[in-house]
Amino acid sequence: MENNDIAWQQELARRARIYEDVEAGDRFEGTMSTLDYCGMTVLTLVLVVGFWLWGA
Amino acid sequence: MTDHVAHEHLSTLKTEQEEAARNRAAAERGDAPLLPSERLWGFWEFTYANSALAIATWAFLIGGSVGLFVGPKEGIAAIVIGNIVGVVLTALATTTMSGRYGVEQFVALRSQFGYNGSRVVYVLAVVILTMGWLAVLAMMFGRSIDGLMALSAGEAANPTGAKMIIAAIGAILLTWFIVAKGPTSIKFFNMVVSPALVLLMVAMLYLILSHHSIGELLALPALAPPFEDKTLNFIVAVEVNLAAGFSWWPYIGNLARLTKNERTAFWPNILGIFGAAALGEIVGLLAAVALGESDPTIWMTKIAGPMIGIVALLFVAFANMTSMANILYTSIVGLRQVGTASVRAISWGAILFLFCLIPFGLVVFYPQMYDGFFIFLVWTSALNSALAGIGIADYFFLRGQKLDMRSLHGPQENGPYRFWAGFNPIGLFALAVGFIVYVAVFNPQTLASLPAFKYLTASVPSCLAAGAVHYVLTRLFARGRGWGQYP
Repeated sequence: MENNDIAWQQELARRARIYEDVEAGDRFEGTMSTLDYCGMTVLTLVLVVGFWLWGA
Repeated sequence: MTDHVAHEHLSTLKTEQEEAARNRAAAERGDAPLLPSERLWGFWEFTYANSALAIATWAFLIGGSVGLFVGPKEGIAAIVIGNIVGVVLTALATTTMSGRYGVEQFVALRSQFGYNGSRVVYVLAVVILTMGWLAVLAMMFGRSIDGLMALSAGEAANPTGAKMIIAAIGAILLTWFIVAKGPTSIKFFNMVVSPALVLLMVAMLYLILSHHSIGELLALPALAPPFEDKTLNFIVAVEVNLAAGFSWWPYIGNLARLTKNERTAFWPNILGIFGAAALGEIVGLLAAVALGESDPTIWMTKIAGPMIGIVALLFVAFANMTSMANILYTSIVGLRQVGTASVRAISWGAILFLFCLIPFGLVVFYPQMYDGFFIFLVWTSALNSALAGIGIADYFFLRGQKLDMRSLHGPQENGPYRFWAGFNPIGLFALAVGFIVYVAVFNPQTLASLPAFKYLTASVPSCLAAGAVHYVLTRLFARGRGWGQYP
């Protein structure tokens, strides 16, 4: 049981280390860029304003 | 000698593979972050999974409720506006961090509310929401069966009668049985029901449009507008849809952790959750207003005639069971994840049954809940909108999109997310502020509202207030006390 716990803690540490390395090297793939956030804002505004003018 | 070494090598390899499989299964359950290489869903896979979740019979119910307040033209506008705002804010608060780190949503929540605080949030946001939905969907099942029997016998249906209650209790018991057997049986139902529901929606839309032109439909009045002020009715309809959008908060983060990256975790929500839910609600709205009845189990029999009506009702009953199984399974998996050792010690079947007791009570003693179910939905938004605001403020503005996987998953008692006895008083206070702001601006029970409600809705100020309080108090008090490892 104790061995299992130690093994699991090691596994958690391994997974955390992988993310720490990715983070340190700024190697996250497919992160949301400024373009994504602008696109999301514009899409939301267009839908809200457009449908407000059409339906409200 | 060589054979002996090779055999030993194979045996070691097999043990390593078994251990890797065990670790991966544990990570999938949420005990550890999923690594990028372990995540399988791309854009379209996640879009399909999202759509399958969103295309459910509750979309008909929400659409029908919108028809009580406004006519189809205003209703379609309210559905689009409410859902896009709710879904975008909810997805920002939950899916971006899950997509980046592969972290389980309620484990990540330890960074916002503390390891015990995240348990409180789980009970408030997931357990109560799921119990309410289980009761509403069971009653919808019961009404479908009651309507079906009435149609077959050529009698009038009695939607609150004994037959409905017995069928609803049967639905909960059957759901308990299905979920107790494990996820494989649920997957089978999902694969059949989601595409079939799309076909049902298209068929319903065709039947409605074959009786009314689009111009006629858009000009129809609301079924039962509560106020003389049309703008107020419209904003209440927007609020119902904001609540529908925010109601995905407990679920989409944990789906998004299965996606390959942050972008793939975010955008499919717009297409899948927003698109599919809006489509289903619009069908429900048009049918309700065209047939003068907001309850789908009644308008389906009117729109399609007895024969097709019987098939449609049977299918709705079946589809409800699938939705019930999905939400019950997800909630109990999460409950065991956040629960204490004593909760984990309860057997799978027993904990499922205990969870079903409150829905049983609601079905038997409060069947009126079904007709005013939107009140329950809007209540949940008082919590979910505040949770979204806190999530965005914490992850984007206080932590700069950085989470510490080691601290989130390691021993919590002396870790940085201990805060105060495992609770972050700031996060919980911000949640309470968001809730109070919501109820002060708009009371879901009485529909009474402040004048500002007409311009701001209630979910948006609640989201903003909770986020702002969390941000300011964390900046002022958390860092000095060493709480929460804020940069």
